[in-house]
Amino acid sequence: MKPTDSTSDADTGQPTVVSDGPEDTFSFETSGSTVEVTWSDRLQDFYEEFIYKPGLVAWDDRRTRIGAVIMFVYLLMGIPGAWFYPAPSTNQVKRGLGPFETLDAPLGSTGSGEDVLGMVIHATPEMLIMVVSGGIFATSVAVLIGTVAGYKGGAVDRALTSFSDVAMSIPGLPLVMVLAVVFRPRDPVLIGVLLTINYWAGLGRSIRSQVLTLREESYVEAARTMGVSTPRILLKDVIPNLMPFVLVNFANAARYVVFASVGLYYLGVLPSSVDNWGIQLENAYSQEGALVGGDALYQLIAPMIAIMGIALGLILLAQGLDRVFNPRVRTRLAGESEATAENEDRETNTEVNI
Amino acid sequence: MRMNSYYLKRTVRAVLTVWIVITITFGMIRLLPGGPLEQLRGKLLRQGVSPSRVNAMIESYQNVQPNQSILEQYYEYMTALLTGDLGQSFLQKEPVTAIIGDALPWTVFVMVMSTLLIFVIAIGWGALMAYWEGSTFDLVSSSASILFAAVPFYVLGIVLIIVFGYQLELLPTGHRLSPTVEPGLSLLFVLDAIDHAILPITSMVLTGAGLQVLAMRGNAIQVLGSDFVRVARLRGLSDRRISVRYVARNAILPMYTGFLTLIGFNLGGSIILEEVFSYPGIGYYMFQALEARDYPLMMGIFLIITVALVMAVYIADLTYGLIDPRVKSGDSREAY
Amino acid sequence: MSISSDVLNEPQDRDAIIRMDDVSVTYDSGDSYVLDDVSLAIERNEIIGIVGESGSGKSMLASSLLDAVPDPGQLSGSVEYRPVQDQNVEVLALEDSELRALRWEEISMVFQGAMSSFNPTMKIKEHFIETLEAHNAPVETGLNRAHELLEDLYLKPGRVLGSYPHELSGGMQQRALIALSLVLEPDVLVMDEPTAALDLLMQQSILLLLRELREKYDLTMVFITHDLPLVASLADRLAVMYAFELVELGPASEVINTPTHPYTRALLNATPNLNAPLSEMRPVKGKSPAPINVPSGCSYHPRCPLDTEECRTNHPPADPVTPEHTAACFHWEEARTEISLNYAETGTNDGDWR
Repeated sequence: MKPTDSTSDADTGQPTVVSDGPEDTFSFETSGSTVEVTWSDRLQDFYEEFIYKPGLVAWDDRRTRIGAVIMFVYLLMGIPGAWFYPAPSTNQVKRGLGPFETLDAPLGSTGSGEDVLGMVIHATPEMLIMVVSGGIFATSVAVLIGTVAGYKGGAVDRALTSFSDVAMSIPGLPLVMVLAVVFRPRDPVLIGVLLTINYWAGLGRSIRSQVLTLREESYVEAARTMGVSTPRILLKDVIPNLMPFVLVNFANAARYVVFASVGLYYLGVLPSSVDNWGIQLENAYSQEGALVGGDALYQLIAPMIAIMGIALGLILLAQGLDRVFNPRVRTRLAGESEATAENEDRETNTEVNI
Repeated sequence: MRMNSYYLKRTVRAVLTVWIVITITFGMIRLLPGGPLEQLRGKLLRQGVSPSRVNAMIESYQNVQPNQSILEQYYEYMTALLTGDLGQSFLQKEPVTAIIGDALPWTVFVMVMSTLLIFVIAIGWGALMAYWEGSTFDLVSSSASILFAAVPFYVLGIVLIIVFGYQLELLPTGHRLSPTVEPGLSLLFVLDAIDHAILPITSMVLTGAGLQVLAMRGNAIQVLGSDFVRVARLRGLSDRRISVRYVARNAILPMYTGFLTLIGFNLGGSIILEEVFSYPGIGYYMFQALEARDYPLMMGIFLIITVALVMAVYIADLTYGLIDPRVKSGDSREAY
Repeated sequence: MSISSDVLNEPQDRDAIIRMDDVSVTYDSGDSYVLDDVSLAIERNEIIGIVGESGSGKSMLASSLLDAVPDPGQLSGSVEYRPVQDQNVEVLALEDSELRALRWEEISMVFQGAMSSFNPTMKIKEHFIETLEAHNAPVETGLNRAHELLEDLYLKPGRVLGSYPHELSGGMQQRALIALSLVLEPDVLVMDEPTAALDLLMQQSILLLLRELREKYDLTMVFITHDLPLVASLADRLAVMYAFELVELGPASEVINTPTHPYTRALLNATPNLNAPLSEMRPVKGKSPAPINVPSGCSYHPRCPLDTEECRTNHPPADPVTPEHTAACFHWEEARTEISLNYAETGTNDGDWR
């Protein structure tokens, strides 16, 4: 052994393993018994690594901020708004009021005396439920099929991939329309699921490719060598790393649900028992003579703005989140120019601890 | 060998997909309790048609003998389809194939034109934005792309009809031809057809191009920042060669499959588009069929759109290997 | 970045082929340095190894030799190329067309990651042809030279030229890239981590080939790496970089056997070594600085066990250890005794404390 002048960090006598910086290492604890890491610590780590840091990068992007604000407005409209604002009903106000004439119907009223603003607001809760259920359905099916196919490989992969391929080759909108005519769904959760009935397929394919890349990553390989079970690796090491990508696609699926549902309500393919911007659009377009006279144009504009607003919010969120997913842009954003650009050489000769 | 098995696999998959869709449509029509045929039967009976006459009518609509077992019906349905018989439309009192044959070219014209224009705009504009990344042009174009992408095509369609059709009276608000114009190889016909297609195509292109422009911009920026472009610059290659052989080629490649499949997907979107524009293509008839519960027509058009999408994916799979040397026998979709 | 840095080694004009004088690269309009006042004379026909951690600025040094610093980096100082026959050339003052001619014809470069240095949609042969055409070189003779080079690198020329990049293994691509970089008969070959992505065996064989190439084609080579032991066997001289500056320069054997700068000593102690037990391996404590906040005075002082007030305020000049060997440290003499190496030093008396 050395005389006493050896430096303090060698005191433990442990071999010091050369490793990357703390940002690049991924902690995987194999068994709870030997490693004293509490669940709250892990949650804390998870929050730091997969929510806080990406969130910070995303929030740094102007598009994310605007998108989040827009979505917040719709949440306000959908929850407290629909609660407090009176529901539209025929003859609640004078018929055919223009916009900004009275406070009872700030955006005017329809030919049957319904408050246009009330119609817009009361269509929001159903829309939000559809958007969330469709988004969750599409992304969770895609994540499930994509990760299992990509990670398991072999026959499982072939079967799941063929299944996705077939689902992907069925045209979504016509299928949904036929199903809507046959089943006449009314429940917004069900409609959301129905609209994304095969939307997950393409997403599942790309998640599979992501997983194929991820499973070659050293920490996943290490976990596998250490005998960690497959579901555990998927849940702990693979899926968290897909989260930004999944979120981007959640927003895209949500936008698809908005466009498709409004379109189907507009066409009258979905039962018109609820308030929806599409129904409002259809009423204004066909019954109110918005086309010819132009007097009733405001009745068209209100639902149009509602549709485009929520779509804009979702696109901006998706674009902003995409920056988190795209590591090249992420690096550039984080302002670490050369230091990280050179990090590609995976091993450094010095340990960067503390 | 591997090449052949790749093509074989793709072909089998395409056929399999079409077969599955046919089976689904068959099942939906026949197996659902209270399904369309039952509804039709009830309706006819209520109208006072005699039961034997009802059976005969249903038979003529769908090539099925209602007394046969499901398997026999399935066999008959499949053989009828294979001989190109999609049944008889309730609504139009015409064979479904005749309706589709009349309507399909118009829909294909509108959708292929739209998709082509979307990609031409996306590639050109996106590349310019990438080249001037961070400039005012880039910023304005990005914002505009996002704004346009937030508009559903049917909303823009309504706006265009109101503005250019009713207010300015510049362009027709519907139909594929003026009543006086007969289809034929005349200049008048071509101009009139274009005149009627401008608004539908515009509403598809303006709303569909936004996200594609952004995708191309992203691809091009990535390629511009890649090592091989940097090395090519150091090797002294001309800017022209770098932008064509290096940047454009590698940025467009990932969009190729998307381009072909988008044509197929847009055919599905024609149901809404053609209804908004009263443009009698297959989407328009599909909507009529949905309204009237005209199941033979509905399922016939659904099948045609499915076959189109399957073909698009099939062609994309088979040809991708020709344009991207990295994918010879592997899975083309892995490429993006 | 307050105190002006001194020249580490007075560039001695014995037979320098490239002279760098006070070369700096800055980003963010001068706020962050990624290369800080580096002066270095590269001698004709030598192999000089430039060693540093990730983010120490070594890649910037390589790029600056060809005036090829990635945008928006600002390059300043002087890089003088001194060919045997022609007049000396100031690289940083060249016009675009002259620069085009200098690159690849006089000074050529091999990047890290050969996998990404070829256009994936073009055959290797096309890369050679377009390079020859771009420099108005006869294609026929150029291709013959390419054949010869590929053979020198133990590749089958016909097969490699007819392949797409992805059809070649990493080692083959790397060697094909070296051949491509030599096709216009340059005098200087700059290599930035040329072997980082390869396995150990392939690294060693490429190093052997490089030595053969140098003999055969009278090349001067600048070999940039984070891997000190790797380059130690290849290089004639070694330059150690820390925080965007050169801290030590000398003949390879001297730098390895009697390292002088505290950082070099720490770096060697952190390196796996056949002559020392693994338990003796010690990481370099602390973190290397980011471009925006390089410490004042000696940039290594926060991590240095020998730091004094002087180190914190003044920038250490390059001190000659031997006529050929310099170190930028006020306390290099103490370093030899204070910082023990985990393997036996040879060649000097004062290091012989054991």
